[in-house]
Amino acid sequence: MSAGSIPNSPVGSRVPMVDSFEKVTGAGKYADDLVLPGTLVGKILHSPHAHARIRRLDASRAGQLPGVFAVVTGKETPVKYGILPIGHDERIFADDKVRYIGDNVAGVAAESAEIAEEALRRIRVEYEILPAHLDLEKSMRAESNLIHDGRPHNIEKEYHHHFGDVEAGFKAADLVRFDRFDCAEVTHAALEPHSTLASFDDDGKLTVWSSTQVPYYLMKTLAATLEMPEENVRVIKPLVGGGFGGKSEVIPLELAAAVLARKAGRPVKITYTREEVFYAHRGRPRTIVELKTGVRRDGRLTAVEGRVIQDGGAFCGYGPVTMLYSGQLLNALYDIPNVKYDGYRVLTNKPACGAMRGHGTVNVRYAFETHLDMIAAGLGIDPAEIRRRNLLKPPCVTINGLRILSYGYPECLERVAEASNWSEKRGKLPFGKGIGIAGSHYVSGAANPIIRSDQPHSTVNLELDGEGTATILTGASEIGQGSDTVQAQIVAHELGIALDRVKIVAADTARTPIDLGSYSSRVTFMAGNAALAAAREAKRQILNAAATYFDVPAERLVLEDGRIFEAGNRAKALPLAQAVLLAAKPETVLRATGSYSTPAEARGGKYKGAGVGPSPAYSYSAQVAEVSVDVETGQVTVERIYAAHDCGKAINPLTVEGQVEGSVWMGLGQALEEEMVWKNGRLMNAGLLEYRSASTLDSPEIRPILVESADPEGPLGAKEAGEGSLAAVIPAVANAIYDAVGVWMTTLPITPERILKALEEKQRRTGS
Amino acid sequence: MISESFEYHVPKTIEEALGMIGEFGDESKVLAGGHSLLPMMKLRLASPKHLIDIGRIGALRYIRESEGQLELGALTTHFEIESSSLLKSKCPLLPETAREIGDVQVCNRGTLGGSLVHADPAADWPAAMLAVEAEMVARGPHGERKIRARDFFVDLMATALQSDELLTAIRVSPLPARTGDAYLKLHHPASGFAVVGVAVRLTLAESGSIGEARVGVTGVGAKPYRAEETERLLAGKSPTAKRLEEAAAHAADGVDANSDLYASGDYRKHLAAVYARRAIQRAAERAAGR
Repeated sequence: MSAGSIPNSPVGSRVPMVDSFEKVTGAGKYADDLVLPGTLVGKILHSPHAHARIRRLDASRAGQLPGVFAVVTGKETPVKYGILPIGHDERIFADDKVRYIGDNVAGVAAESAEIAEEALRRIRVEYEILPAHLDLEKSMRAESNLIHDGRPHNIEKEYHHHFGDVEAGFKAADLVRFDRFDCAEVTHAALEPHSTLASFDDDGKLTVWSSTQVPYYLMKTLAATLEMPEENVRVIKPLVGGGFGGKSEVIPLELAAAVLARKAGRPVKITYTREEVFYAHRGRPRTIVELKTGVRRDGRLTAVEGRVIQDGGAFCGYGPVTMLYSGQLLNALYDIPNVKYDGYRVLTNKPACGAMRGHGTVNVRYAFETHLDMIAAGLGIDPAEIRRRNLLKPPCVTINGLRILSYGYPECLERVAEASNWSEKRGKLPFGKGIGIAGSHYVSGAANPIIRSDQPHSTVNLELDGEGTATILTGASEIGQGSDTVQAQIVAHELGIALDRVKIVAADTARTPIDLGSYSSRVTFMAGNAALAAAREAKRQILNAAATYFDVPAERLVLEDGRIFEAGNRAKALPLAQAVLLAAKPETVLRATGSYSTPAEARGGKYKGAGVGPSPAYSYSAQVAEVSVDVETGQVTVERIYAAHDCGKAINPLTVEGQVEGSVWMGLGQALEEEMVWKNGRLMNAGLLEYRSASTLDSPEIRPILVESADPEGPLGAKEAGEGSLAAVIPAVANAIYDAVGVWMTTLPITPERILKALEEKQRRTGS
Repeated sequence: MISESFEYHVPKTIEEALGMIGEFGDESKVLAGGHSLLPMMKLRLASPKHLIDIGRIGALRYIRESEGQLELGALTTHFEIESSSLLKSKCPLLPETAREIGDVQVCNRGTLGGSLVHADPAADWPAAMLAVEAEMVARGPHGERKIRARDFFVDLMATALQSDELLTAIRVSPLPARTGDAYLKLHHPASGFAVVGVAVRLTLAESGSIGEARVGVTGVGAKPYRAEETERLLAGKSPTAKRLEEAAAHAADGVDANSDLYASGDYRKHLAAVYARRAIQRAAERAAGR
């Protein structure tokens, strides 16, 4: 039975999120709202130097200050950590060296913020200042004063992939084009700053409440760095006010709060200031993308060669994963027979970059989709048409080993072209007005876990009681994207009960089964599949019990609207609550478990780096942007965005549209105004007034269009919805600007001054 | 951040306020709407020991017509100016400028006098004050004096107001016949301040050529200014598109332009010319319609 045919099912309905009431009324509790008796304020001493050796550190005067309960320095925190097993290069507090302005030198816990700040001022640190590596391209040629041992030329990681034969592909081409793109470093700017409350009980067990996307990995890192058994560490995720990837790895304050709480013998809470959030960062790196592409006269691509350099900051973080996504997703939206990729992740003395919405794909997709429009212009082919001519033919496996079963991209292209009246507008609008198209795609969850493991990626336990209430126990992390709501909808749908009969207990490592976290757009697909499996198992048990009761085979029974009856005989029905008790006997609670593991065929190829990029399913997006450009001031106004997104099946169209709109805003911010500006390792815009990101007030008209390609392995057909749309909006805008005023914008953000400069250059070149 | 601690005073009359200003001198700051001073105190860019809150002196909050002049009390809020029917008919430049200021909170609490005394280089009011040749009325221990707008703005966040004086009122002349005005600005996308703002009051002669044009510019340099070369090039000319463009091109002549993360100095000067031309054009059209 398909999802849509169940009457009164919440699946496919525009239901509000299950936690919206508490959020809208202000009743909901975020990490910073939580207080335990005796809670101390934790503060961190940050490095004022971009690169320096710590000669001497004297914290004795801080400890003597009345009201100070703990002072911790790097000597007491020797264990290195990092989100990737191959990148354990961070410490809670620096030991011998600081590697960026903002690096963590020491922590204090005190009765008040004022005392804690005074204690920080009393810590004396003697630094030997080292030359700092601040420029991406210079850093990767550096010979001395390297940032980490064992990283020659400050290169954290490089990857070199070659599939097919690009030289042969270029030979077969009628046109070979080379372009270079430069994308500024941008950050998440989640409204909720990072916040962590840590508390030890009398038995030495640690509980941490933190604004995290990855409670499970945080639990493991706390246990490792505090040298405690994992069973003694409990991580609880309260409401989270936005993550966008910035909370998808362990952030120093999460460990600092715990280590301070242990030493102080009292709970410690640390909440970052906005400036600290900017320096904790882990956002999208500055990225240089060089693309060389061969194409036949008919628009068919014959080869692509990409060289990508990313400025990763001072630590590894997710860097290698970012590099690999950039390579793996370079070609996989289209059918390109020959592909080469060279990726370099470079260390510099700045805060570490990391995962940010559309992790690894956004800058490369902007470059490729703009480059593709340049190629189309050179050949005189319509930009929508050149995309149609290079489509994949699923089911298929791309040349780099990504298995694709569902592919709504062609429909996305058609739907935005039709909705925007593309063929009537492209190239036909008055000077200053333009329309552009671009596509994107993204994973529905990484097929391989961050830490190798044979455990399922997600497990959901389900409990049904004699009142007919279902309680979901899930490790999945709601961060505002609708994780809890989608699981509740799936369970309600499968059990034929109303949404308000489903309760959810989530993201508490002591109570809920393992889920790897909210990253790589994995939750709807993986936790959704686990919830679906749990609900189906519960339903099987219930129908078996009811089969005995009715004395008919279970296959003839229907579970609908909280009742069970034989098909065609609604009059004689058994209430679900009663059936639950029959099935649970001799218990009074019926328990079912479901889990999700990725199929072996979806886990990718065997070459080095093949593990990142593969996903059980991919979302697809196509967008059309309409812009107007004031050629006197260079100001760009985005008038309208048509955004088609293939999410497989919209379990909740309201939240899918919300994700698409949010992606568009975030993408517009990066396209037109966001940039972290550094000067000598210091961030010049570490505040929301100076670092400007788009808000609802700046929103153009957005027309979301949902495309449902029904993935055979997605829960009820569903795929990713939270990230893929972001990558399409930037090139759609760049391509629309070309249509409006005839200049290609190859540097992000596309500021008014850059537009004016490009227009001047065009005038010099053409004399018009 | 939290400001340094301070002593808070609430005078009920202008005289009482002047007494306090005299008593505490440089250690004090006058608080009006608080939308410029309080953020500076929180950033500890200002740390007065005494804060003199004049916000409850009702006698400083009015808009009235007297002796053929329009007079606004220093505590008049941006919103009161924006919604004043008297100003809309007699000096529409002021409501038009008020509409471009900040957000709802700033418009409801922020005051004309507070903004002028603060003298932020990106504030909107100075451009309009220059274009209408406003007079600032200052009260001090030795009585009252009037300061012309072009003498009032001295430098970055510095005015001609003495440390023992209080700005009490702003006087402007109503719009004469055959005169139009306009204020246009480029909003900073985050703060809403003027990256560049240009206010124009332009009078047409009987012949249809430009009698007099006054062009006030804010946002470009350390202090707001009259674009004198532009004004000179407009006087006596017929307002053709070409003439306006030629004159507006000089709107930032000789100005040492501000440069920040959003706009370089060169871009600001470029914008000054573009916005000057647009504002002059609009003012000329309005003048022709009166």
